[in-house]
Amino acid sequence: MRRLFYFRLALSNVRRSKITYLPYLVATAVMSGVFLLIAGLLFSKGMTNTPNGGTAQALFAFGLVVFALFTVLFMLYINNFLIKRRKKEFGLYGILGLDKRHVGRVLVWENLFVIGGGVVCGIVIALVFGRLLFLLLMKLIHVVPGSSFVISFNAYALMLGLFLLVFLITTISNVIRVHTANPIALLSSEKRGEKDKKALVPLAVLGALLLGGAYYYAWTTEIPGIALGIFFPLAIVVILATFLLFLCGSIVVLKLLRMKKSLYYQPDHFVTISGMFHRMRQNARGLATICILSTMLVVTVSGTLSLYLGREEMTRGMYPFDAQVYVPESATEQQIINYDAVLNRLAAQNNVTLRADRSKLITKLPEGEEFRRNNFVWDESVFVDVPTLIFYDGSFRFDVSGTEEDCLVFIQAIRDHYSESFSETPNLIASDIFTTRVQGYGFYGGLLFLGAFFAVLFLAVAVLILYFKQVTEGYEDKERFNILQQVGMDDEQVKRTINSQVLWVFFLPLAATALHMLFASKIIAQMLRSFMLYDWGLVSLCIGGTLLAFTLLYFGIYRTTARTYYRIVRR
Amino acid sequence: MSLLQVKGLGKVYNTKLGMRQCVALKNVSFEVIEGEFVAIMGASGSGKTTLLNILASLDKPTTGDVLLDGTSFAAIPDRELSEFRRKHLGFVFQDFNLLDTFTLKDNILLPLVLMQTPLKEMENRVFPIARQLGISQLLNKYPYEVSGGEKQRAAIARAVITDPRILLADEPTGALDSKSSASLLNQFADLHAIGKTILMVTHSAMAASYASRVLFISDGVLFSQLYRGEDANKAFFDRIVANLSILGGGDIA
Repeated sequence: MRRLFYFRLALSNVRRSKITYLPYLVATAVMSGVFLLIAGLLFSKGMTNTPNGGTAQALFAFGLVVFALFTVLFMLYINNFLIKRRKKEFGLYGILGLDKRHVGRVLVWENLFVIGGGVVCGIVIALVFGRLLFLLLMKLIHVVPGSSFVISFNAYALMLGLFLLVFLITTISNVIRVHTANPIALLSSEKRGEKDKKALVPLAVLGALLLGGAYYYAWTTEIPGIALGIFFPLAIVVILATFLLFLCGSIVVLKLLRMKKSLYYQPDHFVTISGMFHRMRQNARGLATICILSTMLVVTVSGTLSLYLGREEMTRGMYPFDAQVYVPESATEQQIINYDAVLNRLAAQNNVTLRADRSKLITKLPEGEEFRRNNFVWDESVFVDVPTLIFYDGSFRFDVSGTEEDCLVFIQAIRDHYSESFSETPNLIASDIFTTRVQGYGFYGGLLFLGAFFAVLFLAVAVLILYFKQVTEGYEDKERFNILQQVGMDDEQVKRTINSQVLWVFFLPLAATALHMLFASKIIAQMLRSFMLYDWGLVSLCIGGTLLAFTLLYFGIYRTTARTYYRIVRR
Repeated sequence: MSLLQVKGLGKVYNTKLGMRQCVALKNVSFEVIEGEFVAIMGASGSGKTTLLNILASLDKPTTGDVLLDGTSFAAIPDRELSEFRRKHLGFVFQDFNLLDTFTLKDNILLPLVLMQTPLKEMENRVFPIARQLGISQLLNKYPYEVSGGEKQRAAIARAVITDPRILLADEPTGALDSKSSASLLNQFADLHAIGKTILMVTHSAMAASYASRVLFISDGVLFSQLYRGEDANKAFFDRIVANLSILGGGDIA
C-alpha cells in the first residue's frame, strides 16, 4: 500500500509537470533511438563483410564510443536543468512533512517512468524511423549496400546498458541532491548563480596548448599510415581541448573583456558581455557538445563523400592498366608470345579493342615524386617482348576499350578459355578495373550511405540540444529583459542585445567547427591516401562543400529555434 | 509648484474573455510638490499598484492624465517613453529586480551605461551613493551573494544614480524583515531630507509613517489623506493606524 503511494505520487508528478518532463522524455527517446541505430549499423553483417570494412568499422566504433559519452553527458545536463527547476517543489515536500527518504523514493520512480518510457519510444523510433531513413537514403544514393536493415541483439543490449547507467547516475545524483540540502535552501535555490571554477586560467591555457599541439600534429603528419594511427588520439585531444576552451577559455576571455572598462561600459557591450558571461557559465558544455557533434558530422560526411566521388581515381590508381592477365610460372616464352594473339582474338569476339601504351612504363622515378602504383620502374629481366601487348613481371598488361558490359564479358571469356592455352591455372587469372569498379561503387556508395545516415542522426541530436538551449535560456532571459525594460532600456536596444547574444551563442560552435576542420583537412587527406585517394583538391573541395552545406543547414536550424526563443522572451 | 499632477485617473481592465470589466481606479486626482515624501496606502487589490504602474509610465490610464513638470505622459510618443523613464524616473521594486548577471556595481551603473555616460562620471557618481547607502564593501558582489536588505539598497542606488525628478517605490519593504525595513526607511528619510521627491506605495503603516503625507486608497478611489505636520514618527504612526481602522484595511506592521 505504501509503496503504491510513492508510485502514484510519482506517476501524477510526471503527468502534472508535462512541460518539464516532456522534453526529458523526448530527449531520452531521441538519444536512445539514435544510439540504437548507430550500434545496429556497427554490428550489422553487411558492414563486416565489405572489403576495407574493418577500417570503416573502426571509424564507426569510435563514433559510437564518443556518442555514448555524449549521451551520458547530455542526459545529465538535461536532468540537472530539470532538477534545478523542481528544487522548490522538493523543499515544499520537506516542509509538508515528507521525509527525504520518501522524496528520494518518489524521485526514483519518476526517473524510472521517464527514462523507461523514453527508451521504449526510442526503440519504436529506431525501428520505424530507421527503416524509413534506410529506404530513403538507398533511393537517394542509388547503391544497394547489400544488406537489409536488422538491429542485432547486441545493439539492443548495449543501448539498454547505457541507459541503465544513465538512469543510475541521474537517480543517484538527484537523491544525493535532495538529501544534502535542507528545505529552506531548496526553496530558494532556484535562482542561484554559479560559482566560478577554480584554476580557470591554467585550465584555459591547458586547453589552448592541447588544441595547438593537436593542430600542429594534424597539420604536419606526412605519412598516411601514421595519420590513420594518430587520428583517433588526436580527435580525443581535440574533444578535450574543445571542452576546456568552451568551459574555461570563454570565461577567461569574457573576464578580460570586462576588465577593459572603456569597452565594457558601452550600452550594447554591457548587457551582451555580462549576459554571455552568465550563459557560458551555464551552457558551455552544451555548446562544446554541439561543436564536437558538428565536427564529427563534417568529418564523416566529407570523408565518405570524398571516397565516393574519388572512387574512379582510386580504382584507376590501383590499375594503371585496365587489365592484368597472369600466366603460370611454368609457361615458356613461346607460350607467352602465342597468348598475345589469343587475347586479341578474344577481344575481337567480344567487340572490345586492346591497347598497350609502353610510355606508362618509366625507367626511373622522377626526383621528388613519391612512388605510386601506376609508376613502373623498368626492369629488363622481367620483360618479355610480345607482339601487341605488354608482358611484364609475369603478367600481360593492357587497356581495354568498349562498353563496360562487353569489357566484363571479355574478362570472363579470358577466364573461361584460359585452360585452352595453359595447362596449369594460377590462383588469380586476371585482375581488372571493370570488376573492381563494380565492387568499389557498391562499397563506396555504402560508405557514403553510412555517412549520410550518421549525419542525419547527429543533426537530430544537435537540433535537440539547440532547441533545449533556446527554451531554457528563453525563460531565464525573459525576466532579465523585463527588468532591463523597467530601468529604461528601449525596445530597440533590447532587440539588439538579444540578437547579438543569440548570434554569439549560435555561431561560436560553428566557427570552432570550421577551425577544427581547417586543421583536420590535411590529416583527413592523409588518411584517405591509405584508401588510394591522392586527390588533395577533391578532398578539400568535399570538406569545404560539406562545411558550407552544414553552415546553411545550421543557419536554418538557428532561424527556426531562435523563433521559439524570441516568442518566449518577448511575450 | 507641484512636480507631479495626477488628473482624474481611471483604469478599467477587461477580463480575459471580455465578459466582465474590472475597475481598478476611479477618478483619482492628487498632486505631489517637489521635495515631498508621499506614501500611498491601501489594502491588496485597492488599486495602488495599478496607480504606481501608471505613474511609472509602464501602463496607460483609460481616462485622465499624468503630468511631470507640466509634461503630459499622454503626449510622449511610445518610442521616447523608455528614454523619458530613464531620465526622469527612478524605481525601487518589492522584489528588487536586480540582474543576476551583473555585480551590484554594474547593476547600479546600468541606467548610466544605457545613457552613455562617460566612464569617469559614472565612477564619480557610484562611490558616494554606495557610501551613503552603506554598500561600498559589496559593490563587486553578485545579487545572489548578498542579503535582501543589501539588495534593496543597491536597487535604491540604481534608482537615484540618474538623479531622477521623482523616486517611485513599490512596496520597497515588502520582502524585508523588520530590522532591514527600518534601516531602509531611514535611507528614504535621508533622501527626503536632502530634497528628493519620493512616492512610495505600501500597505504597511510603519513604512508609511516615515512619509510627510499619506494618501489612502480603497477600491480604486482616493479615500482620504493625512499630513504629518509636526508629528514625530510614532505619533504619525498612531494617526495612520487610527485612519486605517476607519478604512478597515491595511497592516499595522
